[in-house]
Formats: sequence, structure tokens, C-alpha cells
Amino acid sequence: MSGSGGGKTMRITLKIWRQASRDAGGQIATYHLDEVSPDMSFLEMLDVLNEKLIEAGGDPVAFDHDCREGICGACSQVIDGQAHGPERSTTVCQLHMRHYSDGATIYVEPWRARAFPVLKDLVVDRGALDRIQAAGGFISVHTGSVPEASAILVQKEDSDRAMDAAACIGCGACVAACPNSAAMLFVGAKLAHLSLLPQGAVERDRRVLAMVRAMDAEGFGICSNHYECEAACPKEISVETIARMNRQYLAALLRERPSRAPA
Amino acid sequence: MAAETSPRLVSRCPAGPIAARWDKRRFELKLVNPANKRRFRAIVVGTGLAGSSAAASLAELGYEVTAICISDSPRRAHSIAAQGGINAAKNYPNDGDSIFRLFYDTVKGGDFRARESNVYRLAQVSNNIIDQCAAQGVPFAREYGGVLANRSFGGAQVSRTFYARGQTGQQLLLGAYSAMMRQVGLGKVKLLPRREMLDLVLVDGVARGVILRNLVTGEYERHAGDAVLLGTGGYSNVFYLSTNAKACNVTAAWRAHKKGAFFANPCFTQIHPTCIPVSGEYQSKLTLMSESLRNDGRVWVPKKAGDRRPAAEIPEEERDYYLERRYPSFGNLVPRDVASRAAKERCDAGFGVGATGLAVYLDFRDAIQRDGEAVIRDKYGNLFQMYEKITAEDPYRVPMRIYPAVHYTMGGLWVDYDLETTIPGLFALGECNFSDHGANRLGASALMQGLADGYFVVPCTIGGHFAGRKLAKAGTDHPAFAEAEREARERTARLLAIGGRRTVDSFHRELGRTMWDHCGMGRNEKGLRTAKARIRALRGEYWENLKVAGKAEELNQNLEHAGRVADFLEFAEVMVDDALHRTESCGGHFREESQTEEGEARRDDQNFCYVAAWEHRGVGEPGTLHKETLAFEHVPLTQRSYK
Amino acid sequence: MLRWIASALDSSVGKKILMGLTGILLVLFLLEHLAGNLFLYVPGGEEAFGPFDAYVDFFPRFGPLLPVAEVALGLLFAVHALYAIRITLANREARPTKYVVRNDRGAKTIGSASMILTGLALLAFLVVHLLDFRFDAGFHGDHGRTVAAKLARPGRALFYLAIMAVLGVHLSHGAQSALQSLGIHHPRWTRFLRGLGIAVAVFFAVGFASFPIYYLFFWTAGGAH
Ligand SMILES: Cc1cc2nc3c(=O)[nH]c(=O)nc-3n(C[C@H](O)[C@H](O)[C@H](O)COP(=O)(O)OP(=O)(O)OC[C@H]3O[C@@H](n4cnc5c(N)ncnc54)[C@H](O)[C@@H]3O)c2cc1C
Ligand code: HEM
Ligand code: HEM
Ligand code: SF4
Ligand code: F3S
Ligand code: FES
Repeated sequence: MSGSGGGKTMRITLKIWRQASRDAGGQIATYHLDEVSPDMSFLEMLDVLNEKLIEAGGDPVAFDHDCREGICGACSQVIDGQAHGPERSTTVCQLHMRHYSDGATIYVEPWRARAFPVLKDLVVDRGALDRIQAAGGFISVHTGSVPEASAILVQKEDSDRAMDAAACIGCGACVAACPNSAAMLFVGAKLAHLSLLPQGAVERDRRVLAMVRAMDAEGFGICSNHYECEAACPKEISVETIARMNRQYLAALLRERPSRAPA
Repeated sequence: MAAETSPRLVSRCPAGPIAARWDKRRFELKLVNPANKRRFRAIVVGTGLAGSSAAASLAELGYEVTAICISDSPRRAHSIAAQGGINAAKNYPNDGDSIFRLFYDTVKGGDFRARESNVYRLAQVSNNIIDQCAAQGVPFAREYGGVLANRSFGGAQVSRTFYARGQTGQQLLLGAYSAMMRQVGLGKVKLLPRREMLDLVLVDGVARGVILRNLVTGEYERHAGDAVLLGTGGYSNVFYLSTNAKACNVTAAWRAHKKGAFFANPCFTQIHPTCIPVSGEYQSKLTLMSESLRNDGRVWVPKKAGDRRPAAEIPEEERDYYLERRYPSFGNLVPRDVASRAAKERCDAGFGVGATGLAVYLDFRDAIQRDGEAVIRDKYGNLFQMYEKITAEDPYRVPMRIYPAVHYTMGGLWVDYDLETTIPGLFALGECNFSDHGANRLGASALMQGLADGYFVVPCTIGGHFAGRKLAKAGTDHPAFAEAEREARERTARLLAIGGRRTVDSFHRELGRTMWDHCGMGRNEKGLRTAKARIRALRGEYWENLKVAGKAEELNQNLEHAGRVADFLEFAEVMVDDALHRTESCGGHFREESQTEEGEARRDDQNFCYVAAWEHRGVGEPGTLHKETLAFEHVPLTQRSYK
Repeated sequence: MLRWIASALDSSVGKKILMGLTGILLVLFLLEHLAGNLFLYVPGGEEAFGPFDAYVDFFPRFGPLLPVAEVALGLLFAVHALYAIRITLANREARPTKYVVRNDRGAKTIGSASMILTGLALLAFLVVHLLDFRFDAGFHGDHGRTVAAKLARPGRALFYLAIMAVLGVHLSHGAQSALQSLGIHHPRWTRFLRGLGIAVAVFFAVGFASFPIYYLFFWTAGGAH
């Protein structure tokens, strides 16, 4: 009835990456949990583990999380080798234990990429994504200096597609899942969102050049079209956004005028 | 009439025709010479809708800005979770909306406990917000003709809600975030993520800086400026279980309160009727489902108490559609507080469903029969999917189970018309101020208020502070910073030194249960007194028997949580005091002693038509109550009725 | 101008575009190459390899353009291979600590995962291949017959066959990947284009493989073909 659990509990073995700090080495540690309810979310299961660890005088597992409803993009764990775990279009915080069977062994690791250094256990630094945004992920309007909202008509299809791309939660799973640690899906999504709208099309060239430059400076890998990012993305962002970025980049390069500023 | 307004609460609302007041105030305020703007630094704590929009707008004006948030990226502030939409008085559908009607509805919806001048201004700038967001690239829903689409929301009788699928808060926040990140790129905003504000620093009585803990290294940081803006969100997590994100807290507001900022109407909290019920002891938070579901779903419980049959086996004549029964004209669309209380009433009386008995059905059977599954899927597909993900039940086949959950806090730091608290130089924006929603917030109006405050109000009013006051130089080497930092350090050290046996989470859960039971949907004197005693006892135990893992000089989430719960334990008492003193029922605050024969809320305008602003007098000491009398010149005081 | 090109190519997306472009040009070269080689199958009446020999002998008529084209082709290979190696190395560095457990979601393919291996194998093949023909004195004497004779040797034939399989794998990912890299993507066409990529891979693999098969199994040195 209420939930599938009906009072049953499971035994789970966890193999979790533990790393004390950014510069420390890390290793997998093993934990056993006896009374895992199938109705628990994955993070609630980790909460239970942490309570146990604290009570026993140990160090709880650090992991990023906040909204626990799949929208803030904070949670970030590679579970059994898959970013956000086995369920499609589901963040870790929305993953429930009923997808595991009694006696399962589960590996939990942080996002891994040079651009995302581990800060502690499962917590990584994703500041790189913010810096890419700061380089060009915006439409340059001042507060107040804008036209009436309906003065700019937007085709419904364009607006819907912009929304598809704008749904990105900035979690970085695309990077974690990409065999090359490339951030192209994240960047492609932002570029697609902004350039599909007439408001954002104005500074399209500048934006793509700046964001790609910023992305490269962070040490992400280079896409070779494995499409694993799309498969891992909890918001099902399409790799079409990457193609669009490539196209825009090429167009921007060709249109770019030599700068007249003195060298 | 209620008491005189306390001399300590100067609202600075301009007099004159209500439509001209904001203009008037803007004209009265001193301007900062453009060339001087870069000499002023504003410290913005919080990067939700309110904080991000303020940081971006202030930087655009030329001020230097420091922006601070707890999360690893400013984009993750809890505003991101808002689903439904944002109101504005555009009147695009030509259905009779206007600035005045939005103002009127908001004052009335707030059960007459908000300031008319503020609400009117909110309605005025609502239209600018939509313009601003559309220009930033917020992908609002559109009609085929390319214009913006609207829907009606939360029982409003006009269509004035703008939305971006079910992710309006996310899109608005990303808009504000991108505007702020542009200023980060330009060097005007200094961004400090993964920092928690642990104290406010006053120099000569003026807010001049903050003490932060770097959540990665555990180091303490001092940041000085010429004004401090708090956009740190609401305190729903005092209930432990709420729809708020895990890191939501009262810490920043509470520490400001302890430094002299009055806390207004702390007992005004909102309970949302359509949340997914608790499934077990381990439950860590609650998930809200858009209230649009009530447009098509019918709420019911079995007529027989304790009926454990599956929903499908309960015949029609044994179902009690209690909302339709009690409120024939509004039916399933009664306001949030009414729907929530009615659900609690049924469950308390033993009619609840599900394993815990703490749920009622929200049934789409009839709607599916009427419109077909495809239509329902089209309207609510993503919500149904979310429900199924969490509960593993298919709402197309079995009715959803829902239960109310704490969702929003109308109370907050008292601010004047300029959004300045009782501490000069300290401003509060968004959910963290006591705001424009009175005792009950209407759907789709918090997003509006957060952005109004950040984009349009504070960028103007802060000039009055910068230009109007003589601000002495006060760098981080000022003794006030050293003193505040010392206090913050000591507090942390104390938490770590207790060495007891109980975890932070267990205290937080117990506090939450106490608050939910006695200071939640229904409140009475006896319960509130019990709560007060329990809070005190719990707080006593906290500082003796708490066990915090790890060290201070590292990333330590347990320690962060410990600090926040310590503040909740102090704050909860003020909340209860406020609830105790307000013996009327109004909005989200339902005093069981103050109800009509039919069990509806009874407001008491004779004695309580005021804002209750509490002044801190020491932990555990009763705070001093200051009253700001509210006058209603444009919206006549009436009792709400949804019969 | 040079600085502009250099900086463009130094960017991640610039490199991708370059890979895509050179990849497509290489495919076009293969198309021409396969078409030319098909002359081997054209019965020549008197002269057993008449049409093919004529085709090979046609090239010198381009005069000085020929070495230019050959250098260009060499550069094409060189640039493609060089950037492939640079990208691969850069991507290795982008993840200094590997996952303990790694589980893909099935989007990655054998082709996409082995591009560098298949690419390097092709590079190795090229060396052998050029020595076999382009820099082989015998070939310059008697074009068609040399090809046939060499491919009739079981060792050579098997080697060629293996490499054609490798080429197929390389192109199974490469063909559609190049389109994506150049920004050609549309939801309506994606499935078709990905299918087309496989078709292109099979086409070239089978097309080229037909030669060693034919000469190994069906050709006798004395016969016409
Ligand atoms: C599930 C849900 C759905 C909602 N749906 C709607 C809706 O449809 N329409 C509507 O109008 N409203 C809705 N609301 C309400 C609305 O979303 C919020 O009231 C509003 O977004 C609050 O914005 P804010 O900027 O004030 O605070 P928040 O967005 O909560 O931001 C708070 C910021 O302060 C930071 N912070 C907090 N404490 C500290 C500290 N001590 N030190 C440093 N930084 C700190 C946080 O990191 C964060 O950046 C919803 C709320 C919830 C929970
Ligand atoms: C006839 C010879 C070749 C052809 C037709 C060919 C074709 C292609 C094509 C079409 C692509 C896809 C480009 C893209 O993804 O944008 C590609 C990629 C690649 N090629 Fe080749 N290639 C050939 C030879 C080589 C050689 C000699 C190497 C040697 C190292 C090589 C290594 C690679 C690699 C590593 C990639 C993947 C690049 C990436 O990560 O995006 N290829 N090739
Ligand atoms: C079984 C299949 C193949 C046969 C029979 C074949 C045959 C030949 C012959 C006869 C030549 C000499 C032509 C000349 O110098 O005028 C040649 C040249 C060449 N082949 Fe192939 N080839 C085959 C497959 C390939 C493949 C798969 C590649 C690419 C990876 C390739 C790349 C080349 C190159 C680069 C040259 C030199 C071209 C030049 O110098 O003009 N060949 N091939
Ligand atoms: S594109 Fe998808 S996976 Fe990548 S950051 Fe955005 S939501 Fe996460
Ligand atoms: S998985 Fe990586 S290789 Fe490209 S298509 Fe996605 S970024
Ligand atoms: S915790 Fe917010 S998306 Fe998972």
C-alpha cells in the first residue's frame, strides 16, 4: 500500500570513496547497513550511515546535497560507475533504495575530473562551471533598461527549445560521465538556451567565443562525441546543444573581425 | 483599536495617494554621486532571487559588491525549487486585472497583516520584473503568437501568473544569477561561495561587515563594507521536515536579531496542502507538488474512521469529499491554509489513509474519466512522474496520498519601507524579511517579492543610506571585527567541546516534531506552553549532550548543521512566544481558541491589527514586543470566507 | 591571420572542428581511392590490368600539381593524426584519478572508445601500404599486376583484411561524429545520420576488403584477373 516497502528492510554493503581533504590521498572504505528501507532515498540511506558513524565516534561521509528534489544540482555521486546512479533522468537525491536488492554492494565515488578537484569524500569543487558562466553565460541587460516583455515576440517552438536547454541544473554529471571529462553539454546547453531566444541572439558570437575560452582554461577534456553525457544528464539535455555550439563557434570564428585595439 | 506604534518602528512609508508613494519616496531619498558609487561596498548575504538580483543591480549601478552563499554555486539557492509561477499585473489576458487588483488580492490574501504601502509598491513593480526577466532570457511560456502566456494560480480569479514550465523559480533564479555572474566577470561582484555568515559586525551602531566561516577550510573570514543586505531565505526548517532545502536556516537572521534587528511576526508560517506524505522515520525532507493539482484532483478520505481498504475498494458512497462538503462554493480550491487545516482535522479524527494514517487522497479518477488520461498526462505528467519516483505508486491508477507540509515563512526581520531593519545599514530582502505577505502568502507572490526587493527597491533605497549617513572608515582591523570573530570561534569551539552522546540530527528532529505538534497548523495556549518548556529543556540538553563529529578546521557538514540547530533552538522560543501572544487566528496562524462555530478562523482586528516586532533581550529571556499598527485605507477590513 | 588560426585551433571546439573537417576530407579521399582501385576489376581485354594502369598513369599528367596534391594529402593525414593524438593525451590528463568502478550507459560504442587505437593502426598500415605501392619500384613498373600479386600473398592479404575491419570500426564512429563535430545535427535526421555513418563504414570496409579477398582466393597469377 503505502510505498512498496511494507516493512521489509534490506542489507546493503557500501564501498565509499573517503578522502580527508583536497590534498590528501583517498581510498575506498566499506560499510554495512542492516536496516535499509526500500522507501528511503539514496541520500536518506547515507544519512542513516552518517548517524551511525557519528554515534560511533567516526567521521561522517561528506556529500553535497540541498533541495533533495532534483532541481538544485548539488548532489553529485557516481554510483556503481554511473553519474547519479542507475536510473535515467534521475538525480542521486531522487534515487530510491527500492531499485536495489537485498544484499547489494554499491560503490559510491565523487565526480572525477581535473577541473572538479575533490574537497572531501564525495564533495568536489565545481566552481569551474560558475567561472564559465561569468565569462559569457548571460544576456547583457541592465536592470531597468529593458523593453516591455511582450515587445519581443518569441516563437513558441524557440521558447520551448530554449526551455529544454535551460532546464540544466548545473550538476556536472555530464562531465563526470564523459569518458573525456568534457563540459561541452553544460556549455552547449547554456549557449543553446540563450541563443535560441531573440534577446540572446544579439551577442551570440561573443558569448560562444568567451565561454569556450573559459571552459578550456578550466582544464576540461575535449568532446569526441561519446554521448555518455546525454545519457547521464538528469534533465535529458540533448547533445544537439553541442552540435549547435560547434556550429556557432565556427560561424563566430569566421565572422570575427580582427581587433583594432593596439597590440 | 490596537496599541500605538512603537517609536522604535519608523516605517518611513510616505504619505499621500497610494499610487504616488513609491515615486515620492524615491524622490525624497538622497542620491549617490555616480563617481562616488564605487567607493561604497555592499555585502549581500544570500544569492537566492533576492540576493542575486540585488547584487547584480547594485553592481550595475557602480557599487562594489561582495556576494556570499552557503552552496558551492550561487545558482543553487533554494529559490531554484519554486515550481508554480510569478504574479504580475500585466493584464495581458484582458480579464480585469490591474495593479490595484493585485494589491487588493495580496493584502486580503495576507489576512490584513501587511503594510498597504509596501504591497502597493510590490504590485507596481511586478510588471517591471516580468520585463526584466524576459529580457534576461527567462524562457517564459509563450502563446503561438509569440506573446507571453498566463495561467490562473492558487485560486486567483484572474490569470496573472507567468511561468516557465514547472520550473519558474529555477528560471528566474538563473536569470538573476546570470546577471550577477556577468558582474562577477566584470570584477564588480566578489563572489564567496561555500561560506556561512556567522555574525554581523556593527561599528558605531551601523552594520559594517560580517564574519564568515569558510566551509571548505573552516577558516574565519572578516568582510567589511558600508551596508549589509540579508537575502538569506526562510526558516521553515525549524520544523525539521519542510519543503525547504536542507541548508535553509535562520542563522544569519537570528544573529542579526541578536545584534539588534527586530524579528517580526515569527509565528506566521505557511503550510502547503499538497505535499508527499512522510514514509518513515528516516524521512529527511518533504516534497511539494504544485497546487495546480487541486484544479482537477478531488480530495477525500473514507467515511469510516480507520478504514484500511485500498482506495479502489471503497465505494463512492463511503467516500467523504470533505472540502466539497464543507466549502461548497470553493470546493477543492480553497486557500492553502484552509485546505491544510481541513486535512489535519480529518487525520487527527482518525480518517487518514496510508500506512501512517497521516495522509488524505487526491484522486484523479473522475478527471481521467471526464477528460481522458492523455489530457491529464499533458497537464500534470511531470508531477505524476515525480510522485511515482518517490512513492512507487502510479497516480493514474491509485489516488495520490497527500499531506500538508511547512513551506514558507511570512515572518522575518522587521524592515521599514526602505527594507532597512532596525539596525542602520542592515537591509533584509526576500523571504528573510517579514515582507509583504502578512499572515498568509498567496501562490506565486514570493518570487515576485524577492525580485521586487532585489531588482527595484533596494538599489534605490540603499542610496539613502550611503548618501544620507556619515560613514566613518571601518576596515576589518576595527576591534568590532575581532570581537565578533572571537565570539563566532568560541561558539564553534564550544559546540565541538560538548562531547555528549546525541547527534545534531536527533535534536533537530525532536525540535521539529515539537514545533509541528504545537506550533504548526493549529495552535493553542496549552500546546504552546508545552512547546516552550520542551524547547528550553531541549536547548539545555543540546549544550550538554551534543555530539559533533570532526574538527573546526575542515569541511565539516555536521558542525555546520550543529550551528544552525543551535540557532533554531533559540529562535523557536521567540516563535512560540509570538504565537502565544497572538490570541487571534489569522492567515497561517490558527489559534484554536479563536474560531467560529463552524471551526473557521476568527481574526481579531480590534486587538491584533499590528505587526509584532520582537527585540532580543538575551537567550531564554522574554523579548520585548514592539507593535507597528497597520492601517487599511484602501482595502476594507473584512473576514475571509470560502463557504 | 596566423595568430587567429592558431588560437582558434588551440581551443577545444576548434580542435573538434578540425578533426571533423580532416576526417571528412579523408573519407572523400577514400572515396576517390576506392573508385580508382575499382579499375582493378574492370576487364581490360588484351592488357589484363589495362584500365587500372591507365588510371594510375593518368596522374602524372597533372604535372607539378601532383606532388602538391600528395603533400596536401600527407598533411591531411598528419594533421588528423597529430590532433587525434593531442586530443587523446589532453583527455587523459583531464581525469588524473580514474574511477574505481566504471559503468557506461551504452551510449559509448566500440568505435568511439577505440578511435585512437584504430587510428594508430591505420597509421601503421599506411607505412606498410606506402612501401607496398607508392614507394615500390615494382609497382611503378607494372601497377595492376603488382597490386594483385602482393594481395595474393596470404600474409599480406590477411593484414589488409584486418586493417579494413579496423577502418570500418574507425568510421563506424567517425563518420557520424564528424557531422556532429561540424554542427550538423537535427532531431529528425539524427537517427538517419547515425545509421548512415554505419553504412559508410561498412561500405568502405567491404569495398576495400574485396581486393585482398579477390586476389587471395579467386585470382591466379597467370589469369586475366
Ligand atoms: C518547494 C517550494 C516551491 C515554491 N513555489 C513558489 C512559487 O511557485 N511561487 C512563488 O512565488 N514562491 C514559491 N515558493 C517560495 C519562494 O520560492 C521563496 O520564498 C523565495 O524563492 C525565497 O527567495 P530568497 O531569495 O528570499 O531566499 P533563498 O532562495 O532561500 O536564498 C537564500 C540564500 O541565502 C543563503 N544563506 C542562507 N543562510 C546563510 C548564511 N547563514 N550565510 C550565508 N548565506 C546564507 C543561501 O545559501 C541562499 O543563497 C516556493 C518555495 C518552496 C520551498
Ligand atoms: C583513412 C584514414 C582515416 C579516416 C578516413 C579517418 C576518419 C575520421 C573521422 C571521420 C573522424 C571523426 C572526426 C570527429 O569526430 O569530428 C575521425 C576521428 C578520429 N581519428 Fe581518424 N581517420 C583516419 C585516420 C586516422 C589516423 C591515421 C589516426 C591516427 C592516430 C586517426 C585517429 C582518429 C582519432 C583519435 C579520432 C577521434 C578524434 C576525437 O576524439 O574527436 N584517424 N577519423
Ligand atoms: C585493399 C585496399 C587498398 C588497395 C588495393 C590500395 C591500393 C593502393 C595503390 C595501388 C596505391 C598506389 C597508387 C599510386 O601511387 O598512384 C595506393 C596508394 C595509397 N593508398 Fe591505398 N589501397 C588500399 C587501401 C588503402 C587505405 C584503407 C588507405 C587509407 C588509410 C590507403 C591510403 C593510401 C595512400 C595515402 C596512398 C598514397 C597516395 C598517393 O601517394 O597519391 N589505401 N593504394
Ligand atoms: S547538462 Fe545535464 S548533466 Fe550537465 S550540468 Fe546540466 S543538468 Fe547536469
Ligand atoms: S560524453 Fe563526452 S565526448 Fe562529448 S558527447 Fe558527451 S561530452
Ligand atoms: S539535492 Fe538538489 S538536485 Fe539533488
